[in-house]
Amino acid sequence: MSLMSPDAPVIATDHLVRRYGRADAVNGLSLCVAPGRCYGFFGRNGAGKTTTIKCLLNLLRPTSGAVSVFGLDPARHEVDVKSRLAYVPDHVAFYPWMTVRETLDYFAAFRARWNRATEAALVDQFRLDLRQKASHLSKGQRTQLALITAICPEPELLVLDEPTSGLDPIVRREFIQTVIGAYQDADPGRRTVFVSTHLISEFEGLIDEFTIIEGGRNVLTLEADEARSRYQKIYARFASEPGTFDLGGARVLRQRGCDLEVVVNGNAADVMERLRARSPEALTTEALSLEEIFVTTLGPGGAAA
Amino acid sequence: MRFQLNFKSGKPVYLQLVDQVKAAAASGAVRPGEALPSIRPLAEELRVNRNTVAKAYSELESQGVIETAAGKGSVVRGQNSPLKKAARLDLLTHAIDEAVIQAHHLQVGKADCLRLTEDRFDAFQHKRDRLPQP
Repeated sequence: MSLMSPDAPVIATDHLVRRYGRADAVNGLSLCVAPGRCYGFFGRNGAGKTTTIKCLLNLLRPTSGAVSVFGLDPARHEVDVKSRLAYVPDHVAFYPWMTVRETLDYFAAFRARWNRATEAALVDQFRLDLRQKASHLSKGQRTQLALITAICPEPELLVLDEPTSGLDPIVRREFIQTVIGAYQDADPGRRTVFVSTHLISEFEGLIDEFTIIEGGRNVLTLEADEARSRYQKIYARFASEPGTFDLGGARVLRQRGCDLEVVVNGNAADVMERLRARSPEALTTEALSLEEIFVTTLGPGGAAA
Repeated sequence: MRFQLNFKSGKPVYLQLVDQVKAAAASGAVRPGEALPSIRPLAEELRVNRNTVAKAYSELESQGVIETAAGKGSVVRGQNSPLKKAARLDLLTHAIDEAVIQAHHLQVGKADCLRLTEDRFDAFQHKRDRLPQP
């Protein structure tokens, strides 16, 4: 196992390209995930999220470009890399004939470490029946079981691919609380989460940095707090119809009669000044949520459109 | 104490936590010696990253609002800030400047602004007085 400096990225891709036949699923993607972060990987269906994750796990070989996990090439050091991470895919499958107990033991057998106390606490919290056959578990229960098998080995990196899609809201909420609580419990500075999702609002509080991917390319990478301070929605109401005027690059979301709503990206002060000059009756701002930033970035008129 | 996060305020989440603890301490909603919730349950409850809560607590500690006591976790300090008076006045000047700037833009004059400041001092004092004595 190689020695890494504490701040060396846990995940790095450099101009990663992966083609299926003639179609580019990932097309020159560069990413850098620092240890201890909870990193969001946001994109629409078919944007290249799962293909990227499969390259990280050596389930697919890159067509070109480089991938490293813990500073290692996942193809050349497959065991080293996989022993330090855990992965929860969007479709979880277990051997149908095994019980929950047998499934947990089966997964534990592949791991150097397995935290029995965490296992017992989570089985209890999720109210799973250890004697239940995997084939009889609901989709929510299968995801919960997968999460237990991912957390008990205490991996340095937890890779989640659309983990909460198709689950009911209560299970989703518990899932996220478990990632925050049980996974980050010990040594949070070295517990890295890489989560791909399009259900962004649920992960809003968890994410400290994110990348939006579209067409296999990195469209936007930002710290979550910085994103929320840069992207603002400004609403102004005027005494009479303001007509069209120079908004200093702000994008108009809605203009109807005396109401005007615009989105700014980092230039709120300037746009506010321009609006104030027209003596609005009301002028308010609010930050965009990460989900709204996603929609703004990829929607009509956005940076990637 | 209860925390309420607003992702649409544009204010970093850890700073929202910092400001809420400071406001609660100023109004007497948390008392000196009282423990704040520990990081894990608070992070789970608010569904935010543990690093965010940890960052808020370390910021509160460096500002002298809380201290870490063995066996009790993070507790609210009494009126004995470890910062020198000059440093405390510096921090306050910065906050006042922001209020003065706001007052200018809202066309609220100096006299009104000072009167309002007095009212707010009294309002916080009133809140503290109404709490039952421990």
